[in-house]
Amino acid sequence: MHGYDITAGEMLLDKDATLDAKGLMCPMPIVQLAKKVREMKSGQVLELLADDVGAKEDVPAWCSRTGNALVGMEEEGKLIRFYIKLK
Amino acid sequence: MADKFCMVVSEGSLDKALMPLIMGNTAAAMGMEVHVFYTFFGLKLLKKGMKPRLPGMMSLFTGIMVKKMKKLNIQDYQTMLKEARELGVKFYACSTSMSMMGVKDTDLVDGVKVLGASAFLNLAVDSKRTLFIG
Repeated sequence: MHGYDITAGEMLLDKDATLDAKGLMCPMPIVQLAKKVREMKSGQVLELLADDVGAKEDVPAWCSRTGNALVGMEEEGKLIRFYIKLK
Repeated sequence: MADKFCMVVSEGSLDKALMPLIMGNTAAAMGMEVHVFYTFFGLKLLKKGMKPRLPGMMSLFTGIMVKKMKKLNIQDYQTMLKEARELGVKFYACSTSMSMMGVKDTDLVDGVKVLGASAFLNLAVDSKRTLFIG
């Protein structure tokens, strides 16, 4: 173990799927996220792209509620990239 | 067992129509078991093909609001309702309100259960949260 946290940059290489929720407003990014996760397997990493300002609080809340791990989050202007490792 | 989340809807205007669906769809997406009970004027929201309007005088501006929502990429009422049912949100119609409002079983969208207050309260007392929208 090198002792570093996994960075979003590293996660970019390891993502198993991407969900583009740009242009969708609350609660659509969360609803789409829940649907997408159902199609994926445990341990896989999902990249979620969102630009709804609410997503910044909503996605971490969804992760903690559902027990999935938010392993990275990057902001690029209005766009936020979330990296979620499925339980 | 999943956490239960209940809502009671007693008004049928556009704002009161969308609120339970936004909250309900989000709660379902968060893994909660969602139950929504429609009563009084809220009941008409469960009628097939319903297009709710803004309340009172604002009703005249419903078209503007609906257009604005579309522009903002917000789902319309019927799409949200369809989404809710796909997500497993459970819908209930108050039996007394159905008689009061002259609404028949066949007027309602599919999958709505008709029941009385005690059956719904039986669900609500076991839920972590109940919201009243009206």
